[in-house]
Amino acid sequence: MASEVLIDLLNTVVMGILLGGLYALIALGLSLVFGVMKMINVAHGDLILLGTYFAYGMMTHLGVDPILSLIAGIPLLFVIGFGIQKYLMSRAMGRSMEAPLLIAFGISLMLQNLQQILWTPMSKGLTTSYALESFGLGGINLPLAYLFDFIAAVIVMFLLSQFLNRTYLGKAITGAAQDRTAAQLMGINTGRVYAFAFAISMATAAFAGVFLGLTFPFTPQSGTSFLIIAFGVVIVGGLGSMIGTFLGGIVLGVAQTLGGYFLGPTSQMLVVYCLVLLVLALRPQGLFGR
Amino acid sequence: MIVIIVMLAAFPKLGVPDAWILYILLFFVYLAMANMWNLLCGYSGLISLCQPAFIGIAGYTLVLLVWVGVPFYVAIIAGGIVAGAFAVLISIPVFRLRGIYFAIGTLVVPEALRILFLLWRPVGGKLHGGGAGYMLRGMSGVSVAHYYWMACIVGIGSFFLMRLILRSKLGLGLAAIRENDRSAASSGLNVFRLKLYSFVISGFVTGIAGAVFYLYQGYIEPGAAFTIQWTMIPILATVIGGISTEEGPIIGTVVVVFLDFLLARYAGISMFIQGAILVGIMLLAPQGIMEIGKQIRTYFSWLR
Amino acid sequence: MNEGAQLSVTSIDVFYGGFQAIHEVSLKVQSGEIVALVGANGAGKSTLLNTISGLIQPAKGRIEFEGESITAMDPSQIVALGISQVPQGRRIFPDMTVRDNLVLGSYNRNARFKKEQNFEMVYNLFPILKERKKQLAKTLSGGEQQMLALGRGLMSSPKLMLLDEMSLGLAPIIIGKVYKALRKIRKRGITILFIEQSVRRSLEEADRAYIIEAGRVVLSGKVADLREEEEIKKAYFGI
Repeated sequence: MASEVLIDLLNTVVMGILLGGLYALIALGLSLVFGVMKMINVAHGDLILLGTYFAYGMMTHLGVDPILSLIAGIPLLFVIGFGIQKYLMSRAMGRSMEAPLLIAFGISLMLQNLQQILWTPMSKGLTTSYALESFGLGGINLPLAYLFDFIAAVIVMFLLSQFLNRTYLGKAITGAAQDRTAAQLMGINTGRVYAFAFAISMATAAFAGVFLGLTFPFTPQSGTSFLIIAFGVVIVGGLGSMIGTFLGGIVLGVAQTLGGYFLGPTSQMLVVYCLVLLVLALRPQGLFGR
Repeated sequence: MIVIIVMLAAFPKLGVPDAWILYILLFFVYLAMANMWNLLCGYSGLISLCQPAFIGIAGYTLVLLVWVGVPFYVAIIAGGIVAGAFAVLISIPVFRLRGIYFAIGTLVVPEALRILFLLWRPVGGKLHGGGAGYMLRGMSGVSVAHYYWMACIVGIGSFFLMRLILRSKLGLGLAAIRENDRSAASSGLNVFRLKLYSFVISGFVTGIAGAVFYLYQGYIEPGAAFTIQWTMIPILATVIGGISTEEGPIIGTVVVVFLDFLLARYAGISMFIQGAILVGIMLLAPQGIMEIGKQIRTYFSWLR
Repeated sequence: MNEGAQLSVTSIDVFYGGFQAIHEVSLKVQSGEIVALVGANGAGKSTLLNTISGLIQPAKGRIEFEGESITAMDPSQIVALGISQVPQGRRIFPDMTVRDNLVLGSYNRNARFKKEQNFEMVYNLFPILKERKKQLAKTLSGGEQQMLALGRGLMSSPKLMLLDEMSLGLAPIIIGKVYKALRKIRKRGITILFIEQSVRRSLEEADRAYIIEAGRVVLSGKVADLREEEEIKKAYFGI
């Protein structure tokens, strides 16, 4: 009997770790924008959801597999992100600290309403044949979707870190995040760099959106919980390193699955939220932060 | 000023149509919330997205107390107190954060509460529509006029409260903090305490306003109680009218209620339009109508 | 009057918020010169350099570089034209490697082709940077950071370099090394306009100097002539 419980528990923890990878992916976009522009994009969750609904639309109207639809989804969100930063946020950033936040808030609401009109408030899912399967790993059974999430997350994080470390633009983004004025003196056009950073953040959001949709059902309101997850990962993992974000994601993922196991599916997010508030109260720089 | 108040108070007796009364009631409820948000963001520099938590908690307190037979006016005050106490509790984690971090921290709270109230059914029995909501019981014999007057008290009261605060020591302290909270701290002001006062006061008053609203609506349900709409309304009202001004929230609330009225038929896209207006205002006229008014006045004084 | 001047600043006013930091300042720098800006703290020298670099726009007046008006240009365009600033306090990117800092110096399109050449030049000038190229910039000592900042400025293949208080916080020996490097840079034909706290050092290294006080040019001329000026002897000598 005990061994069954143990196996169940192990199962839950491993699922949490796999989920954590995805959560780290969600947080990446948010922390990129925050690191570079010192601004938390309150619409991040809803923009991720935009990616999800786009894949959903492609799936239901054109029969395109969600992961394949990323071929269109990523550029779409990239362009949208570029536009938002270049034309909306950049104007607001100069004015006051609240302005970009409120604009993002407005965008967030617009998106929620839009989603509601287009797709009804009913819960939807990106249900594909493979998303529902599970696979065995040494005695425990795991949903295939979770594994996909994890792999996707690792790939994207790898690509992103390569981009940031090896390309001119990537280094420019990193530099602008560390010292904006110095970057300007290098001839870096910070306006364009910010727009690219936001666009890249949105590209990761497109990814995150599709894989989230494969894993969980979603409603037009889900954006808020995505945002809180992303924020939570950044808080728990600390800002500054991709590893920290990754670990933060895992912590939250495991917290959620364990919460779901012990308290039931409705409460699992509650556990996550309480954890975030707890970490905030006791160790605001995060468990792994500098 | 007094004349207006008396007139407004007399409306129900004068046979003013119910629909109007309800809109004015809504106006005062929203006004109180807008004023409180202004207190937090415009005057204390705290961008709070926490309003739904106060409103929902106070609403639930009201419903639960009335359920067990407490007279409703007591329950309203109790709602405010519970909301205020909750503000104190929340301030512990959330005040560690600055600016935008703070905003999202406060976003988490209503979300968490929403789930909590989905699960928690403290008083058994009657559930509204099978969901997790409650009907307001024992309210027969209380007429619309009573709700209306409560709303008036809350709304007008909030205006005078703002006046009082801004002219008091608290107000001066807040002004200093808004400019730069580090330098304010070094000049001896207890930043934390001042912000806490703002936060709690706002929690209390917002709670009361929310309770009044639920008094009028007659039922409460977690999804709607803790929705982000409750944040949107005061933000929109304050920003349109003019943040950090005393009259701003009044003008803004008028606009918002008017918009509500106009868009009643288009309930589906009202949030979209509100969001679009918020974005538009932040880009084009971030100081709101008050500022535009000032500019017009300056322009005309030039012409003389 | 402006013929031949590589950089000419004509009667600019610069405001910092509501406060006027620079009043009617004019200056000229010829190609290949070393010119010093001297003055007390807060006199507006950094503001002047920042205006030339395009970080601030003058409210009035003109700035021209090699005959082209750069008054309204933004910083990235100005770097592309060949003006490079090494800002006060170094402002290297602390969490990036030495090498990456230098790479970013060559960000602008014109300089990218010459990246390898410039790397060689910088490593020759400052061998310690080559040694430490994989280290994070924040782990470098003050003097090494200054060399990194200088090297970074060189990576953009500048024609004119603006240097803001290079000796800030550095030991005299290190300062000596830095200025030695500066002379080598000058030998490559790069024009230099620098701010230096120490009047004596300024007059030692520069061809010409401008004395700035409260946002105005109060004195200017060839260093040899300035040395004779009574005011300089009285007010500043020995600093």
